[in-house]
Amino acid sequence: MLAPLIKKEFRSFTRSPLGWVLFSYTILMEGICLSTAMKSLADTPLSENLVYVTFHTPNFWFFFLFLFPLITMRSFAEEEKSGTLECLLTTPVETSHLVWSKFLARVAFYTLLWIPGIVVFLSFGWITDLPTPFILEILVSSHLFLFVLGIYFISLGNFASCLTSNQIIAGIITIGFLIIQYFLGFVTVIWGSQFVAAEFFTLFSAQAHLTNACRGILDTAPLILYGLLTAFTLLLTHHAVNYRRWKR
Amino acid sequence: MINAQNLTKTFGSRTAVDDLSFTVDKGDVVGFLGPNGAGKTTTIRMLTGYLPPTRGTASIAGFDIQKESKETRRAIGYMPESVPLYDDMRVTEYLTFRGKIKGLSGRRLKERVAAVIELCGLGEMRKRIIKALSKGYRQRVGLADALVHEPELLILDEPTNGLDPNQIRGIRTLIKDLAKERTVMISTHILSEVEMTCNKVIIIDRGRIKAADRPENLVNSLRAAGSVILETQAAPDIAIPSLGQIEHVKKVRELSSSNNWNQYEILVDADTDAREKISKLCLEKSWDLRSLHRTDATLEDVFVELTRRD
Repeated sequence: MLAPLIKKEFRSFTRSPLGWVLFSYTILMEGICLSTAMKSLADTPLSENLVYVTFHTPNFWFFFLFLFPLITMRSFAEEEKSGTLECLLTTPVETSHLVWSKFLARVAFYTLLWIPGIVVFLSFGWITDLPTPFILEILVSSHLFLFVLGIYFISLGNFASCLTSNQIIAGIITIGFLIIQYFLGFVTVIWGSQFVAAEFFTLFSAQAHLTNACRGILDTAPLILYGLLTAFTLLLTHHAVNYRRWKR
Repeated sequence: MINAQNLTKTFGSRTAVDDLSFTVDKGDVVGFLGPNGAGKTTTIRMLTGYLPPTRGTASIAGFDIQKESKETRRAIGYMPESVPLYDDMRVTEYLTFRGKIKGLSGRRLKERVAAVIELCGLGEMRKRIIKALSKGYRQRVGLADALVHEPELLILDEPTNGLDPNQIRGIRTLIKDLAKERTVMISTHILSEVEMTCNKVIIIDRGRIKAADRPENLVNSLRAAGSVILETQAAPDIAIPSLGQIEHVKKVRELSSSNNWNQYEILVDADTDAREKISKLCLEKSWDLRSLHRTDATLEDVFVELTRRD
């Protein structure tokens, strides 16, 4: 039951201009981040590795956060607007099948978006004929962290999409969620780390966790946190889809 | 096939469907009629498992719509109003996808997709993108989708809505053919469609059943309390009081007037025929008479009579 739904969802990216625009956008922005990082390395000798510098350029969070509303805004909003949600849920398909298929297809597409970037990192030494300015473990830990963070952000985007039948509004809600999440990471920067809830805010700081991951330190606490938040958001999405159709 | 018992659906303080009970036997072709906002789509959505009833229950093909929702949905082929489809898919691809989520696979899936494409006349359109199809063909794709898993019950919500007369005729013929082998429930307010295709009619208004019977029985029951049309030169101020005094005449009203000829509608009591007395009156009063006939009631008259708000 899940396989045809996932396939249908995934193919909605490959056959629509949006999917290819997203793919091009990601490659372009990753390229800009990498070239900015390489310029920094060329200008001054840095103590950090290339992966660290690439994911800490000013462009990175801007492009990263805007990726998710574009990936998820259509998921439920479009089905509801066009009426196909009714068509699906009057077959033996359950709400849970829908929630999982939309989530997994988007996770697969999101994973695919990172592949060109990883290939570029891996071929750095071969292209430039220089010693690779990072170790493989750092590439793995940083991308693993971005993968886990990405699946949480996708679940948030899908949740936002099931709250409305307008995909633009869904996208705006998603970006709102992600900006809140992003600025939670700045709470300890602004107010210091001496207050009671400072540890809680540090746990939510995606920026701090990415910094660690780019240095090869993969903390399991944020991975578990984002995993639990993803599960909770999926559950919330399931209830929201049912609530919205039953109140109609 | 369908056994609905006290089905009720409320949205906040508004009751959309109120204590609806009806049965549909296997092989029936049922017209589900009602004015806009009568509760037709809400009832269908409850039967198809899209909405849970607030009270009451129903069974379809022996399965409880709430306790055995999945089995119920498997037994139903449903085409919603406005036929929502995935516009970016091709016809065969869409039907294959729908077949898969309805539990078909392998050779059986291929056979069924080919069969419904043939049955619904989609052969030439099988490789077309759905977005490029005309409304009539979209409707056919919707029907093919509803049929792909060979359901015992076919529920069609406004199947000819928005089609041109040729497309309506095509879809209607298709429905007639489909009705030979399965139970069909058609929700519509196009009464000619029901008269032509259905052997049972359920009329609902404001969420309640107003009538449920064979179309001819409903028409006969209205005909019994029907009306007589009289065309004469007698002026309304003279004719209406005189006609109103005839036994069994309930109400007289002027329908039209042209070149001194006035047409009157005379409503009479059930199981009576006042035509003889009216003609005698015309003779007595020396009114020039051009026509005097009983009107044949139609399903439309039944529908208007049962659902009018004035």
